Amino acid sequence: PCRAQPKKKKKFDVKKEQAQKERMKKKLKKLEKAAPELIPIEDFITPLKYSESNRVRSLPTLSPEESERRVLLLKKWCLFKQKQDEAEKKAIKALVESQQEALKELRLESEELFQAAIRRDEGLFPFERDGPRYTPPLPGYDPPEGKCTDITKVYTQ
Amino acid sequence: DALLSCHRSYRSRPTHGIGKFKYLLPKEVPKKRKEKVQMKEINAGTEYQYGDVNIQMTSYDLCLVEHFAQYVHRLCNRLSIRVNESYAMPTKTSEVLFLEERGSKMQLDAVLTTHQRVVQICGLSSTFAPILLEIIQSNQPEGVHLLMKQHTEADFKSRLKSRPELEELLAEMS
Repeated sequence: PCRAQPKKKKKFDVKKEQAQKERMKKKLKKLEKAAPELIPIEDFITPLKYSESNRVRSLPTLSPEESERRVLLLKKWCLFKQKQDEAEKKAIKALVESQQEALKELRLESEELFQAAIRRDEGLFPFERDGPRYTPPLPGYDPPEGKCTDITKVYTQ
Repeated sequence: DALLSCHRSYRSRPTHGIGKFKYLLPKEVPKKRKEKVQMKEINAGTEYQYGDVNIQMTSYDLCLVEHFAQYVHRLCNRLSIRVNESYAMPTKTSEVLFLEERGSKMQLDAVLTTHQRVVQICGLSSTFAPILLEIIQSNQPEGVHLLMKQHTEADFKSRLKSRPELEELLAEMS
C-alpha cells in the first residue's frame, strides 16, 4: 500500500504536466499567429455627437467693400509670406554653400581634420527643445497645489 | 427550330469572341488583404550618415502640432531628405486636479489631451543635420515640444497594443 500510491502520483503528475505544457504551447502558437495591432488614434475618430446634430451655422452676408478689403488683404499676406519663404530658402542655400566652401578649404589645409569634421556627431541625438512661450513666467506666482492623473484608455489585444 | 435560330458564334467562325470587351479594360489590381503590421528593419547608418531618425512633436494643441508635422514633412520633401513614415502616436489624456483654498477636496480643473506626431527620416548626412535642426528650431511654434532621436525597437513597440495574455503565458513558460 505504501509503495503503490507514490508511483501512481508520479505517473499522473508527469502526464498531466505534459498535457498542460502542450496546451500552453498550442495557446501560445495561436496568440503568436495573430499579428500585433496598432493602437487606434483617438484624434482621427470624430466623436458621434458632432455628426448627429443638424444645426447649420449661417454666416452674415458681407458688403462688397468688406469682401474687396478682405481679398486685397489676402493678396498682401500671400506676397508677404512668399517673400518670407524665399528669404528662408536663400538663407538655407547660403548656409550650405558656405559650409561646403569651409570644408573645401579645410581639405586643402589638412586631410585628417577634414575626415574628422565629416564624421557624424554622436552627441547630436537625442535632442530636446521646448517651444517658445507666449508670455514669460510671472515673478512671485504661487501655483495652487494639485496633481495630474493619467486617464489614457489602455487597449489590449 | 430553336436549335437553328441560336446566335452562338462557333470557335471556327470569324465571329468568335465577338462580344468580348474585358481585354480592353485596364487590369484590376486584386484586392489586397490587411497587411500585417511588421517592424521594418532599423537602419543604423554609416559613419557619415545618420540612420533612421525620429522627429517627435508633442503638444496640447492638436491643430498646431498637426500643421507643424505637415510643415516638417514638406520641408524634408523640399530638401530631398527621404521620409520613411509620418505617423501619429496615441493621444494621452490627463486630468488636472487642484486643491481648493478652503477645504481638503480636490477639484477638477481641466482635462488635457497631449498629442504627438512623428516624422521618420532616413539618410541624413552629417554635414546637413545641424542645418536642418536649426531650420526646424527657428520655425518651432509656441507650446510644441520637439524631440529628435534615433529610431529604436522600443519606439515601434510603444505603438502596438499590449497583449497581457501572451506575456503571461511567456512568463509561465520560462
